[in-house]
Amino acid sequence: MNLSDPDSMNTVISKVLRYGVLLSGAVIVVGTALLAAHAAFSQSGSFLTYNPNQVPHGSFPVTFNSLTAGLASGAPMAIIELGVLLLLATPVSRVLFSIFLFAAEHNRTYVYITLTVLALLLFSMLVTPYIPIFGG
Amino acid sequence: MLVLELMVILFLASIVAGVIGSLVGLGGGVVVIPMLTIGLGVNIHYAIGASIVSVIATSSGAAATYVKDKMTNLRVGMFLELGTTAGAITGALIATYVNSVALELIFGVILLVSLLPLVRKIGEDIPVPPELTGLSKKLKLTGSYVETDGSTVNYNATRPAEGLAGMVVAGLISGLLGIGSGTFKVLSMDLAMKLPMKVSTTTSNFMIGVTAAASAGIYFVRGDVNPIIVAPVAIGILIGASMGARVLTRARNPTVRKIFALVLAIAGLEMVLRALGI
Repeated sequence: MNLSDPDSMNTVISKVLRYGVLLSGAVIVVGTALLAAHAAFSQSGSFLTYNPNQVPHGSFPVTFNSLTAGLASGAPMAIIELGVLLLLATPVSRVLFSIFLFAAEHNRTYVYITLTVLALLLFSMLVTPYIPIFGG
Repeated sequence: MLVLELMVILFLASIVAGVIGSLVGLGGGVVVIPMLTIGLGVNIHYAIGASIVSVIATSSGAAATYVKDKMTNLRVGMFLELGTTAGAITGALIATYVNSVALELIFGVILLVSLLPLVRKIGEDIPVPPELTGLSKKLKLTGSYVETDGSTVNYNATRPAEGLAGMVVAGLISGLLGIGSGTFKVLSMDLAMKLPMKVSTTTSNFMIGVTAAASAGIYFVRGDVNPIIVAPVAIGILIGASMGARVLTRARNPTVRKIFALVLAIAGLEMVLRALGI
């Protein structure tokens, strides 16, 4: 594939998005099927409890430790959350790939624009949740 | 309600949300949030967490098709994402100091007021391409796509600075209210930058995923992304969005504009009513 051809940029970005969606969708489907096998006929109320006084507010795994532990034991909730994280990573990888594609076009202005967007995005996603003034 | 019932209802409603959202460049939060809070009595924080994920699903699910068909303008999208990401961070920073009810009221009113210029050009198909000057020329904010009848539509963007300012506001709203704010993105591209409607909605669709991802981390860590709600929503939306994308490439610009105006009216009303506690 000739990366300096503008058409190939559309093709590559389209593929990044499609594979991201398929992968995250597949993981969420597996987790959902397992969850349904365990709990389809349980009452949903206990799963929907929201505790405003504690973080995390729910009783499902969201921290690195609880997620890895949950995945190791094949917990459906952890598998679904992994799928959700893959879904969240899809737009980020699209921005990341754009940098290389603009670079291959020798489009310097857009390489800088995209690098700035990626930096802002990663800061917002990964850093702000842990800074108190951002409500982390 | 049984877990199975909850999931089936969410799955089916989310397919509809995905179709609508992908057509008009919004995230489906307009459908997902009231369905969860009013329809199913789910806590508003879980509804917002689900909405953020639904935005990313709508965006990624449909954008693959739009980008491949060259309907989305990648340069316009990347340039404007500077504004949305900066706005989203600022929104998260000031969220604790802002009265979200007042904000929702203001934003709802803005959406309703912006119906006026939108309705005035309701029948417009392809705008006459303005001359490419200044910043638009420097950033090559121009493009073309192939219409349903096989003709090639060429367009140029005007007033990129205004468009970018609109995106900062969109990002700000998104960081503060947990929505994709696709409405505001489409409005900025349509009214300020004078892009064809289908380019505006597909480029907005492309961008909302990044805007939502910027604020998603905070919601995930807080434990607002509840798997039992988000799983059927994400799968339903992904299916709906890929269906919607196939519809849009065949739809006409005036039709897309009419659907957008309708969804905008509903979204604006919904926000005003919620802010007023009705």
